[in-house]
Amino acid sequence: MPIDPALLPFGINLLDAPLFTEGKAHEAFRLLRRERPVPWHPGTERLNGFWSLTKYEDILHVSRHPELFISSKGIVGAGLRDDGGYVPIRPGDGGISLITMDPPRHVKMRRLVNKGFTPRAVNAMEPSIRKVTNEILDRVASRNECDFVLEIASQLPLAVICGMMGLPQDVWPLMFELTNSVLGAGDPEYQSEVPEEVRGSGEAERQTSMGGEMRMLGYFAEIIEQRRREPQDDLISILLEADVDGELLTQQDILAFCFLIILAGNETTRNAISGGLVTLCEHPEERARLQADMSLIDGAVEEILRWTSPLHHMSRVATADTEIRGQKIASGDRVIMWYPSANRDEDIFPDPYRFDITRSPNDHLAFGIGEHFCLGAGFARKEMRVMFEELFRRFPDIQTAGPPDRLRSTFINGIKHLPVTFTPAR
Amino acid sequence: MRVQINFDQCEGHGRCAITAPAVFRVDAEGYGQVAVEDVPDEERARVERAIRLCPKQAIAWVSETV
Repeated sequence: MPIDPALLPFGINLLDAPLFTEGKAHEAFRLLRRERPVPWHPGTERLNGFWSLTKYEDILHVSRHPELFISSKGIVGAGLRDDGGYVPIRPGDGGISLITMDPPRHVKMRRLVNKGFTPRAVNAMEPSIRKVTNEILDRVASRNECDFVLEIASQLPLAVICGMMGLPQDVWPLMFELTNSVLGAGDPEYQSEVPEEVRGSGEAERQTSMGGEMRMLGYFAEIIEQRRREPQDDLISILLEADVDGELLTQQDILAFCFLIILAGNETTRNAISGGLVTLCEHPEERARLQADMSLIDGAVEEILRWTSPLHHMSRVATADTEIRGQKIASGDRVIMWYPSANRDEDIFPDPYRFDITRSPNDHLAFGIGEHFCLGAGFARKEMRVMFEELFRRFPDIQTAGPPDRLRSTFINGIKHLPVTFTPAR
Repeated sequence: MRVQINFDQCEGHGRCAITAPAVFRVDAEGYGQVAVEDVPDEERARVERAIRLCPKQAIAWVSETV
């Protein structure tokens, strides 16, 4: 049953996907930050209520107290619409994943894979990232148009993460498809596995997400078996040999690791690249400034991250009675951290509604902060940087040829399709 | 004032070296390193920012009262 608007602060329903897909979320957040920065979103019979956090400092506070605000009770509590589509991340299924784990175990598990994600590791990968980027651009170079998301933006992060995990190239399209099923389950476009008459419903969302998850875990179970027999030089083989306090990881642990890394590695960076091109096309002066001086690319990447906030939110649950900005939060209450709001907070960013590729400082929270800070942030930054360097070098006149087709989600700021035109390269 | 990095916490995100390059650098392994332990006054604000922005809260001032 839809929620009664009279119960919502200013009638704003932050679980209503069109708020985000139609670009009205920033106006709503601006009002909330000013008038009611920690509003209560009432629950329904299908969804527990939660506190929305809209201020930068409050999100910083929650992120920095992982023992008081835990992740193990789910991190996308409000990820879906409130008409029955609520699918919490289930700690029981597929093991306990890094993203839904609390310290001290989280610290130890993260250390197992951290070495593969340091700046040194990322820099060592740069030549191969640039090579892959150019191979992707080669494939469209003789044409004058393409779907930027399907043919360009999605292809780089997919290649990088699948490469790290040692997955053969013929399964990359399947990984792309299953990622969309799991993370884009609320969008009818990705619900082709459910009967047509239920598409668009909460039930369709639940079935799509579960179906994608089962297929993904089934695939990784096979790969893990192969790696047990024949170890390779890849992340899965590292996990098979890793131990925490002298104990090897369980099959469930490794499955959960793979599931998280493949999803996080290919969905978010895809949207940061697509969202970045849309943003640059919408701000031709800033774009011209960048193309005239590509040494501004690092600042441009940071501003794209602030501007687009590829993830709309993460969620935590309080383990004790506490207070945020004077608001009493009870033990067991859920809080939702709205990153697009923090990244436009007037108290932190001067003139926050201006897209400025030389903004400094630019301490956005697009990657979160604290215990669960995005493990792959270094790769995301590098992939964005290399992609825009090579894209503008080879197709300097690339332009959007229509509006972005946005993902129906309140969790992921996704773009499904983006028509672009460009002059074919010689 | 002296500053230090807790190596149990540092994950090598390298933000300190970008925020306060005169005080922090990244070592050969990619982890943060204090280049100038005794932080000059003019660097103090940048170090404060690095402490605040360290993704893993790995940086802290060292208590002088030993």
